[in-house]
Amino acid sequence: MPIIDQGYQHWSGELSGQAWRWLAITRRGVKTALQGRWIRLAILVAWLPALVLAFVLCMWGLVERQSDLVETFKPFLTGLLGRPVVAGPREYRVEIWTLCFHYFLTWELGFIMILVLMAGPNLVSQDLRCNALPLYFSRPLRRIDYFAGKLGVIATLIGLIVIGPILVAYSLGLLFSLDITIVRDTLPILFGSITYGVIVAISAGLLMLAMSSLTRNSRYVALLWLGVWLITGTVSVVLIQVDQAQRSRAVGARYHRWDNEQFLSAELDAAKHDWRPLVSYTANLRRMEESLIHTNAAWQKLIELTPVGQRGRLMFNLVDTQYPWYWSAGVLIGLAVLSACVLNLTVKSLDRIK
Amino acid sequence: MTSISAKLDDISTGAGGADLSGAQVSRLGSCWTLYLLTLRQHLHGRRWIALAVLFMLPAGLAVVIQSTRARAPDTFLDFLLSWILIPQALLPLIALLYASGIIQDEQEDQTITYLLIRPLPKWLLYIVKMIATWTTTVVLVVLLTVLTYAAIYIRSDVPVADVAARCFKTAAIQSLAVVTYCSIFGLLGLLTKRSLIVGILYTVVVEGLFANLPLSVRMSTVIYYTRIMAYRTLSFGVTWPNGDQNDVAAEAWFLDVASDPQLKEHPRLLSCVLVLSVISVVCTVIAAALCSQREFHVKTPEKD
Amino acid sequence: MTPIVTFQDVSKWYGNVIGINKLTVDIGPGVTGLLGPNGAGKSTLLQLATGQLYPSQGAVRVLGQHVWNHADLNRRIGLCPEQDAFYEWMTGWDFVFTCARLTGLSRRAARSAAERTISSVGMEPHQNRAIGGYSKGMRQRIKMAQALVHDPEVLFLDEPLTGTDPLARRELMDIITRIGNEGKSVLVSSHVLYEVQALTSNIVLLNRGRLVAHGNVRQIRDLIDKHPHHIKIECDGFRQLAARMVGWDDVEGVRVIAKDRALMVETHDPDAFYGRLPSLSLEDGLAIKSVYSDDDNLEAVFKYLVEL
Repeated sequence: MPIIDQGYQHWSGELSGQAWRWLAITRRGVKTALQGRWIRLAILVAWLPALVLAFVLCMWGLVERQSDLVETFKPFLTGLLGRPVVAGPREYRVEIWTLCFHYFLTWELGFIMILVLMAGPNLVSQDLRCNALPLYFSRPLRRIDYFAGKLGVIATLIGLIVIGPILVAYSLGLLFSLDITIVRDTLPILFGSITYGVIVAISAGLLMLAMSSLTRNSRYVALLWLGVWLITGTVSVVLIQVDQAQRSRAVGARYHRWDNEQFLSAELDAAKHDWRPLVSYTANLRRMEESLIHTNAAWQKLIELTPVGQRGRLMFNLVDTQYPWYWSAGVLIGLAVLSACVLNLTVKSLDRIK
Repeated sequence: MTSISAKLDDISTGAGGADLSGAQVSRLGSCWTLYLLTLRQHLHGRRWIALAVLFMLPAGLAVVIQSTRARAPDTFLDFLLSWILIPQALLPLIALLYASGIIQDEQEDQTITYLLIRPLPKWLLYIVKMIATWTTTVVLVVLLTVLTYAAIYIRSDVPVADVAARCFKTAAIQSLAVVTYCSIFGLLGLLTKRSLIVGILYTVVVEGLFANLPLSVRMSTVIYYTRIMAYRTLSFGVTWPNGDQNDVAAEAWFLDVASDPQLKEHPRLLSCVLVLSVISVVCTVIAAALCSQREFHVKTPEKD
Repeated sequence: MTPIVTFQDVSKWYGNVIGINKLTVDIGPGVTGLLGPNGAGKSTLLQLATGQLYPSQGAVRVLGQHVWNHADLNRRIGLCPEQDAFYEWMTGWDFVFTCARLTGLSRRAARSAAERTISSVGMEPHQNRAIGGYSKGMRQRIKMAQALVHDPEVLFLDEPLTGTDPLARRELMDIITRIGNEGKSVLVSSHVLYEVQALTSNIVLLNRGRLVAHGNVRQIRDLIDKHPHHIKIECDGFRQLAARMVGWDDVEGVRVIAKDRALMVETHDPDAFYGRLPSLSLEDGLAIKSVYSDDDNLEAVFKYLVEL
């Protein structure tokens, strides 16, 4: 009977470059994630806002061209945006595009949280549970490849519902506009949106991976994610509410109405130094989005078109995004560093696995 | 193993003379052991770290809020923390953490076999585990409430007896709410493998959205009955530093106290207690019935 | 002989996957080996026998009673499951004691039963350590202890020897043999033929959910011996060797595998054949490089029996 060496069989063939090895993990992870019916359904639902975005951008292109196709909508648009905007749409192109992308990204943030909740908890916890880490680290993979591969799964899913639809909607918007200057005007919005997508993917991905490495039970990971998403949001709202209630009660019940522009101006001033939104994870992401696509500037321009006394409705949109954006960036960077440290501590390479 | 033969003799004499035909065998004892086992499962491990953070959250918030700017009125803070943060976010989360995994966790960990091969019917197994889950969550909620009240009223001039009474009522109402949530999520855990996602959707859509609509649909939520019980037993009138007075709960919960000060259009206290109790019992009974007919696959394919 | 475990026309399927296919078998007292390759349906059979699964068709009885939703029957049944799953945070003693209490033993009886059972599986020195820190062998033993702690009449052991070292394996086998000798019924599953053979001569063979054979291992071997054994011989002078072997009475056929420089020989009398090989190699200087037969492994047994 021939005796065959049962020890480690070294691969004698060619190996692919180190730089792309993580891709195998990502590819497998994405495939597994997309096999889930619920995840596929969530992605489909998450594309609905993208359809709306594409539709609105196309319509705006027609408005800019004063097309007869949108003639019937003009009274509605005038009521919604005001006569100056509809009369000179090209002057307000950047603002309208910015706000369209802003609303799209706001909606998508909710879907991102849900999608990460559905696809993320298993990523590391499952490997810990099944003691599958040696399967990775017994191959010429480094820990960084493993992390990048797992992060790639979340990034791909986020890309599918944010970056992909943005590119499609943007292209359609350009096609319907038929004006080359639109590229110059709107390219920063496109870059800002894509950068935002990348920031969310890295931040949410690292955070989820860190949580997933803390326990072998994916249910607890999902609950931790919920805590970060909903509890930090609720806590932030509670803190803000208390603060606002104290300020508004201090000035009297009649004065503290949210359609009172004087009161709103005072609130905007107070919000410039307010740390309370930083407690909410999603508020920090939203603040980054605002700073990247300059939502505040778009609102400001539209506010200036509105007669004094009727600006409260629009000014209200500015309250949450007054504090410096780098505060939020600091929080997100801090969380990312913390996540990386947690991953470093919890996922050991083969020689340190029990 | 020099003594292995002697030890083998022990086995042959009936596991140390364990006479299973006599009065030593008791189903009550089995249930009690399962109850204790479930409690221990709930309380061991690193889950305490997450729980401690959750517990300290309202109390910590109270301290933070009280130490920044002017002090907020105690009742307002009590309302925000005990009646917005805790029932809206923490109670469902605690219930989801413990109840949705009553069976799923055992199945995932493949330890359910050790329970299924004992002389305990599956329906009883579920009920005992659910009672243990109720115990854990109620104890946690009482602790959470006491901590929160201590943090809110520690520097207050409200008499201790009043605070204690208010704390007791809050803990009782929230305990009933968490028991109901546990029963609902326990049932969800048997109906779907994605109990966590469904539970979250339920919490956000039903308990978050429906409950905050001034329509009859809110009567289909647990939080509505919790709020009515709270409103009927506690006062939510806040006096602000500038002398303004308002009923924060009535405003936030869309209770039309101006035209219906007695809340005659809403259920009475006893009805609320009954509704939540009946929901808990019905969900538990349905889940136990499902459990008794269910196969729990371990090492065999799930699809049947 | 009154059967202890009865499967009457039992089928179990999971969606499109068949776990057990029209199985009818009566298993009597004593130790019975349940043999089959991975996926043969051994675990399904044991889970059906312990009431964890409901048969899609047919009836399963243990000690004359239907097992599904018959919790009281579990007092008389013990199961050592295959999966390496525990309440990892418990100590070994705590685990066995809890299992005894779950079975309904009083506190005192459970304590006494746990102590003796743990001692019987040689886990006394480790009983106060958390199971999470146990070696594979220790885990198997403590799993065995929980199955024995309530002194069951029928014991089902699902791959109890998996992962154990030779010493632990020997001890576990001794325990199983002894329990069988005491008149208890033990059904042990394994996919390793020699393990089961060391425990009992009475076996049930499963393959793809079907009963392949049931009875004495000798009778089953006899069935195999009716078929020629296949022996592969690697040799540089393979054609010369083939010419020599064709003349032997016990050789049924010789096939040349030129690309491997080897022969595949069929024989009815492998003992005589193997006995002649060394001298042949020396006499003719044929320099036989290797002789290999996979007929003795379980897969080959199944292959033969399925082809019957």
